[in-house]
Amino acid sequence: MDALGSLLHGFSIALQPINLFWAFIGSALGTAVGVLPGIGPALTIALLLPVTTQIAPTSAFIMFAGILYGAMYGGSTTSILLNTPGESGSMMTALEGNKMARAGRGAAALACAAIGSFVAGTIATLALTFAAPAIAEIAFIFGPEDYFALMVLSFTCVAVVMGSSRVRGFIALFLGLALGVIGIDGTTGQARLTFGSPELLDGIELTIVLVSLFAVGETLYVASRFRNAPAQINPLSGGVWMTREDWRRSFKPWLRGTAIGFPIGALPAGGSEIPTFLSYAVERRLSKRPEEFGHGAIEGVAGPEAANNAAAAGILVPLLTLGLPTSATSAVLLAAFQNYGLQPGPFLFVSNGDLVWALIASLYVGNVMLLILNLPLVGLWVRLLLIPRPYLYGGILVFAMVGVWGLSTSWIDLLCMFLVGLAGYVMRVYDFPIAPVLIGLILGPMAEKQLRQALAIGQGDPLTLVSSPLAASLLALAVLAMLLPVLMSRLKRAAEDEPAGNPETAA
Amino acid sequence: MSGLSNNPRSAENLGSEDGRASAPVRPWWLGVGIIAMGAIWLYGAVSLPQTAQYAAIGPGLFVTLIGLALVILGGFLLWQIAHGEEFAAQDSEDAMAGAPADWTAFLTAVVAAGLPLLTMRTLGFPVTAAISFALVARAFGSRRLLLDIVIGAVLSVVAYFGFSRLGVSLGDVVPILSR
Repeated sequence: MDALGSLLHGFSIALQPINLFWAFIGSALGTAVGVLPGIGPALTIALLLPVTTQIAPTSAFIMFAGILYGAMYGGSTTSILLNTPGESGSMMTALEGNKMARAGRGAAALACAAIGSFVAGTIATLALTFAAPAIAEIAFIFGPEDYFALMVLSFTCVAVVMGSSRVRGFIALFLGLALGVIGIDGTTGQARLTFGSPELLDGIELTIVLVSLFAVGETLYVASRFRNAPAQINPLSGGVWMTREDWRRSFKPWLRGTAIGFPIGALPAGGSEIPTFLSYAVERRLSKRPEEFGHGAIEGVAGPEAANNAAAAGILVPLLTLGLPTSATSAVLLAAFQNYGLQPGPFLFVSNGDLVWALIASLYVGNVMLLILNLPLVGLWVRLLLIPRPYLYGGILVFAMVGVWGLSTSWIDLLCMFLVGLAGYVMRVYDFPIAPVLIGLILGPMAEKQLRQALAIGQGDPLTLVSSPLAASLLALAVLAMLLPVLMSRLKRAAEDEPAGNPETAA
Repeated sequence: MSGLSNNPRSAENLGSEDGRASAPVRPWWLGVGIIAMGAIWLYGAVSLPQTAQYAAIGPGLFVTLIGLALVILGGFLLWQIAHGEEFAAQDSEDAMAGAPADWTAFLTAVVAAGLPLLTMRTLGFPVTAAISFALVARAFGSRRLLLDIVIGAVLSVVAYFGFSRLGVSLGDVVPILSR
């Protein structure tokens, strides 16, 4: 089956009016939550999961993909205009973009980010189109020990990369793993850690943990340290649009950012932090005017913004081909697949080819929609920030209740929401990363299953786990990943320190 | 090494508005809590078979490993805390990471999050959500209680019927009346 033919078939599904409608809803919703504080793509998709009972899977995933991409566009808007990067991926965009906006070049920065996102999103989707089937093909021969090794690599990378401390990263991961074993053991049918509660037999849903950590935890945290600044919207978005000079300076960073973002996003380590840092560092090194960095260099917007979007497409590669989530958003996408009784992985391309290719085609469509939604209408989106914070966070809690209570109207779920929400508060105050909890929760049971299968096949010999060259090298990489923070902090310092002292003070 | 990369930011925090000054924060209870959780998981694993005839590992082994890991990581955390590990609150839009906590606002929000435990099964979703909405609004500085409740009620009722239409069951409107 060739990728191009499949893609064309995917377009024929994605361009149906009903699916265009869902792509539009997703893109608009995604941009909105990207702009709004306190709510991001992962939380939005989690809250929409119950609705999936009413929508065909293809339409639902087209909408979710729109949310995923849209949030990237919306996030760059607020980083540039207000210097409030909603997530770590747009930190670098805020660095130079906000400086540009302050210098009266906000419109150019916004356009550069939006067009860069479009270029990167389109190229990365193209790469996904051809890389995903190839990887899925290879994944067919993966044995359980290979999958187990891959998941271990994913665990260590996630715990090490996200957040600032390895100990706290691993604690977050193991909290997720611990919650993951609650319920009936899939292999033997024995109840584990249910504390005598029949409701816990089914285990703890990812949705509950995600909603509680993100919505409830964030609400408690922001309430306790609320910065009661009057809503002020963009005095900064004016100024001239991109000049010919700007285009010339942005073009190569867009391409380089894409080249950096996509492969790194596709690695099991995933995340958009490393590629954006890396892209920023590269652009500063290659720039003919390095002195402008820290004072609003357009290359510093173009590169990281492209890298960010390309990485977002990149995370779909391991998710679709291996069933391996590498970020909070892809964890909830995996949960959505499971809701429909689908298991992402090599077989998905065979058993649900229509769905996969319609999803990939919709990414092209969504990118065009988002460019149209964001370039001329940016002033409109920023108006969302005028929603009074008391009502915004009140509304977030109400929707969190819908998400949790609507699952199965169970009191135990509400208790989980409360306790995990408090934990989310503590994790924010003491700087524990959130995403590893979710990855551990959803990937833990899968890793355990693969481990037990591998050992069952190997008749209990632990050496089975390193019996294939792939599994052995993946496990070796997992150990090496422990050294990543050294590299990260070097990158971070290289990116932050040199330009004009410490740019963070400008906030 | 992670400490290194954090230094500029925390130094800056100390310089600016917060004044979270000299004495390092030593949240011992964090490490103790992690160890306690690990202990609970270890205790839960005791009653489960660790090995199985065919698969070599039984349903208990993973639980044991996780419990052990939590205990060890909790120990690491205590060690870090003893050596003055810094805990800089995460940056968030709308929040001042370095600021001291406003406990009244925090507790109001906690009550809002905990309220469903008490009222969801009796008063139902719309009433509970409306009150929680007003409580959160209050925690965020709104002082117009009546208006907040009205807005919360409208939002809750719309959410209740909207999601019910989409096939999400949110229970009876006011369960205590329909019994």
